[in-house]
Amino acid sequence: MLSMQNISMVYRADLVETHALREFSLEVKEGEFVSVTGPSGSGKTTFLNIAGLLEQFTDGRYELDGRDVSALTDSECSAVRNEKIGFVFQSFNLIPDLNLFDNVDVPLRYRGFNSAERKRRIEKVLETVGLASRMKHLPSQLSGGQQQRVAIARALAGEPRFLLADEPTGNLDSQMALSVMELISEINRSGTTIIMVTHDPVLAEMASRNVHILDGRVSNGDQETTAEPLLSQVATA
Amino acid sequence: MEIGPIWRAMMRNKTGAILIALQIAVTMAIMVNAISIMQEKDRMMSRPSGLDEHNLFSIASVGFAKDFNERVTIEEDLAALRAMPGIVNAIQSNAVPLSGSGWSMGLQTEPGAEIDGTGVGLYFVDEHGLDTYGVNLLAGENFSASDVAWRERAATEWPDKTIITRAMAEAMFPDDWASALGKTVYIADTQPITITGIVEKMQGSWPGWDGFERVMLVPTHTLFGATVYLIRTEPGMRDSVMPQVEELLADRNKDRIVRSMRSMDEIRERSYRSESSMIKILTFTIVLLIAITSLGIVGLASFSVNRRTRQIGTRRALGASKLVILRYFMTENFIISLGGVLLGAALTVGLNILMIETFSLTRITWYLVPVAMLLLLAVGQIAVFGPARRASSVPPAVATRTV
Ligand SMILES: Nc1ncnc2c1ncn2[C@@H]1O[C@H](COP(=O)(O)OP(=O)(O)O)[C@@H](O)[C@H]1O
Ligand SMILES: [Mg+2]
Repeated sequence: MLSMQNISMVYRADLVETHALREFSLEVKEGEFVSVTGPSGSGKTTFLNIAGLLEQFTDGRYELDGRDVSALTDSECSAVRNEKIGFVFQSFNLIPDLNLFDNVDVPLRYRGFNSAERKRRIEKVLETVGLASRMKHLPSQLSGGQQQRVAIARALAGEPRFLLADEPTGNLDSQMALSVMELISEINRSGTTIIMVTHDPVLAEMASRNVHILDGRVSNGDQETTAEPLLSQVATA
Repeated sequence: MEIGPIWRAMMRNKTGAILIALQIAVTMAIMVNAISIMQEKDRMMSRPSGLDEHNLFSIASVGFAKDFNERVTIEEDLAALRAMPGIVNAIQSNAVPLSGSGWSMGLQTEPGAEIDGTGVGLYFVDEHGLDTYGVNLLAGENFSASDVAWRERAATEWPDKTIITRAMAEAMFPDDWASALGKTVYIADTQPITITGIVEKMQGSWPGWDGFERVMLVPTHTLFGATVYLIRTEPGMRDSVMPQVEELLADRNKDRIVRSMRSMDEIRERSYRSESSMIKILTFTIVLLIAITSLGIVGLASFSVNRRTRQIGTRRALGASKLVILRYFMTENFIISLGGVLLGAALTVGLNILMIETFSLTRITWYLVPVAMLLLLAVGQIAVFGPARRASSVPPAVATRTV
């Protein structure tokens, strides 16, 4: 359902050209949970941004759900992001001036759902992440782990096909990281395709497949991971 | 529309919004009241004088020599002026309408010193008066040459005829102004004077006086030593005739000096100088206030766009199109401005009541309030458009790139 062929991404500043991705190719099938690892600066975020239609790539071919993405206009990209893709960011990116309810509401309003439908979905996803009782709280009144749960709820509320997460546990201590990871795994089990960037090899092992990026290229040829045993290892640790 | 969340988010950072709303409200209150003052001044200035203004000018003649024969000078001056090509007619008079100097008297329907007369501006003219002014005689008849007497400065006798304006007739005979014609009224408490004509409109010497449009003409030549000629030219000839007249009068008689030659347009302009400068100052003030308010709006919006760059990127990542972001900031400004103009409407009326009480100003015309509200809402939308567009061009990648 996600197919990248020979994608390259070049950032041009005045004199410097940065090749963030070089001939990057990847296929992700429906329902997969792919972890993306690699050293800092290797192009993980760039890949995720392109996959999530947040950035245009320089060269190559990218099809999402069988559709050539390069033909989409800016507002069509917005609509695709809104309907098909859920984002989870390293620093949560909740809107600090809005309470949890309104935060989860943001993408649903862009979707054009009526208020009853929005309310139903918001309550349901906040229930899923275990924060239904805090609906009127501001993000600043929550712990980091709770904030990331709200962000996940916000990503799920529109029932996207894809969840893209860039270092979702990067700002969390290991306890919180683990509970967020469990949540993400559970989301994957209920059918959502997940691509998660992480620099933590242990967390990467929880995915069904790992892609290692080095210098803008896939370096490990899509290794299958041994997700289940590791997850239970960590959980009992 | 996302008015609910925009409002709730704004309430978490209300200081800036409240300050801008207050600024809009104060701008509106000052603007509307200033416009109301300007309208009043404009109404005052645009009252028609009834005169053929663009073709009129005046020039003063002051005798100084010991053997100066004023009566002969006036008779010869008038004959020469009336014979001059380009001149329609000319009179000798005591004063010029709108000029700020003149005579006023009181007329009363019954004789007696204890009765209050109706105040009236007075001009001494001869039978050429109506034609020189260019005023329109509604009823009765003009003076004839035989009506015109010569009057010394110390004289107390009044002629027995007068032509008054319709405004004066209405003031004295409120039930039926036309009935004034032929009536005998009293001047200087007891001297009878008959109204032999009524002119449609003419203005007196003092624009600020409430009796400005009450005028009486009496058939008299004055021998006051100093006099003024009022001269009406053919249309378009005034500017070329003026220097000729000045030269003619100066050359004809060396026993006097001629001075203060002014067109009626200039007299009007001088007479309303404080009103027109008031209008200019108020216009400048309004423009300045709107400019400052716009800058305030631009400043607040730019600040809030900068502060929320990351949030904007996140919203874009979550599916907001550029248009949605643009609309967000336009809507936010609209809410602030709407609060401002609603408060402004109340403030405007309050300020107006205060001005009515303290400066006896007139009430603002009702439509100024909604018009000013719409104007300031539009100003807000225009001012916020730049920052809002900048917000809409924040790239969605900001969501993952900024830490
Ligand atoms: N907007 C940009 N302009 C220029 N260079 C960029 C930009 N974004 C990323 N890069 C560069 O691209 C490379 C890959 O960055 P990134 O994808 O963020 O790496 P990672 O997420 O793996 O740390 C880095 O060298 C980074 O400096
Ligand atoms: Mg990164």
